Amino acid sequence: MITLKYFGNIAEVAQSDFETLNVDSISLAELLEMLDSKYAVGQFPFQIAVNRKIVSKQKDLNILDSDEVALLPPFAGG
Amino acid sequence: MDRYQRQTILPEVGTSGQQKLKSSGVLVVGAGGLGCAILPYLVSAGVGRIGIVDGDRVEESNLHRQILYNENSIGGLKVEAAQKVLQRMNSTAQLEIIPEFLSTENVDNLVEAFDLIVDATDNLEVRYVLDEACCRKKKAMIYGSIYRFQGQVSVFNYNGGPSYSSLFPKEDKPLLNCEEAGALGTTVGIIGMLQANEALKIILGIGEVLSGKLLIYNTLTNDQKVFEFEDVPPPIKPKISTSFEMITVADAVLGESVLLDVRELMEMPQVKLTNSIQIPLSVLERESDNLDKSAELRIFCQSGVRSRKAAELLFQKGFQKLKLVGGGAKDFLTEDG
Repeated sequence: MITLKYFGNIAEVAQSDFETLNVDSISLAELLEMLDSKYAVGQFPFQIAVNRKIVSKQKDLNILDSDEVALLPPFAGG
Repeated sequence: MDRYQRQTILPEVGTSGQQKLKSSGVLVVGAGGLGCAILPYLVSAGVGRIGIVDGDRVEESNLHRQILYNENSIGGLKVEAAQKVLQRMNSTAQLEIIPEFLSTENVDNLVEAFDLIVDATDNLEVRYVLDEACCRKKKAMIYGSIYRFQGQVSVFNYNGGPSYSSLFPKEDKPLLNCEEAGALGTTVGIIGMLQANEALKIILGIGEVLSGKLLIYNTLTNDQKVFEFEDVPPPIKPKISTSFEMITVADAVLGESVLLDVRELMEMPQVKLTNSIQIPLSVLERESDNLDKSAELRIFCQSGVRSRKAAELLFQKGFQKLKLVGGGAKDFLTEDG
C-alpha cells in the first residue's frame, strides 16, 4: 500500500489530505500520470517527496509498498 | 542590558549573542500578515538594524491579520504605520523603511545593505526576484508562505545551500495569495513566528537552521512535517555574461583606460604604468565602490584566471565596460621594455 499526501491547493482538488493506493509498485512517472488524469494536478506547480525526501519529478524511481509520496505545491499567501 | 536579561541568561545567547543581535541588519520584505508577526519579535529581541520594504497601504480587510495596524492606519503606508508602532517597542532599533515594492530595480541595493533577508511577500514573482538577488549576493533568505490553514517555512541560500528556485523552479501556473484564498491571522502569525525564530537562530549561530529542508505546518491538525531536499538541482547560477572582450597587452597600454591589476600586492613582476592600479581580487568586492562604473577597465592578473573572476564580480556590481587583457603581468614588462 502506498500513501499519498496532499498539501495546499492540491489537497483541495483531491478533496483530501491523503489517500492510499493498493499497489505493490508503480513508477513515479506512472503515478504522476495517474494523479494528473484524476485531479489534473499538472495545472499546479508542485514538488514530489518520497518518504520525506524531495526528489525530481523526472527521477526514474519505483514507488514501493509502504512508501509515502507527498505532493508539495509552493504557497503564495503572506 | 537589563532589558534583554531574560534572553541573555540563556547560555546559547549570553551577552555576546546580544551583541550579535545588536550588530546585525535584517531586511524584511513585505509588511503584510507575515511581516507584522516577524517584525515585533526582531525589534524586541534587539536586532540592531531592520529594513522594511513595502509599497502597499493599509486596507480595512488587512486588519484581522496584520496586527501592527489599527483603524486609524487605513489608507496610510504600511511601512510608516509599522515604523511608528515598532519604534515605540524599542527606541534603540534603527528602522529603515522603504515605501516601495521590491523590484529588479531596487532589489540588489537592498539585499546588499543587510546581512539577512526575510521573505514575507505574498507574491511569487517578487519571491523569484528576491531569491535570485539573495543567490547573487550570497545572503540567506528566510522563506515563509501560507495557503489557507497551512504554512511553509525554509531557509534558502544559506551557506551555499539550495535556493528557492532550485526547489520550486519558475513555472507559469496560477497560485492564490491571501487576498484570493483567505487566511486566519493566527496562521500567518505562527508561520511568521517560525521565520523570526530562524532569523534569531542564524544571527546567534544556534540550533539547526531549516536549510535544505521544507517545513509544512497544518494549523488545523497541528501536524508539522519536515521534508528534506535530496537531489534538487544546485542553486541556479546568477545570469552573468561570460564573454568579455579580450585585448592584447599591446592594445591594453594604448589610450587612457585604467589597467586593473588584480594580483596580490607582493606578486612579481610588479607592473607600474601611469594608468595602472592594483586592487587584489581578494579585496576587489570591497574596494570596487571607489572605481568609476562608467569608465573602461582593462583587467589583468598572472594567468588570466583571476582577471576573469574579477570581471564577473565587477559585472555583477554594475560595471559595463570590462575588457580582459590576454597573457599576464609578465607580458607588460616585455612590451614596456
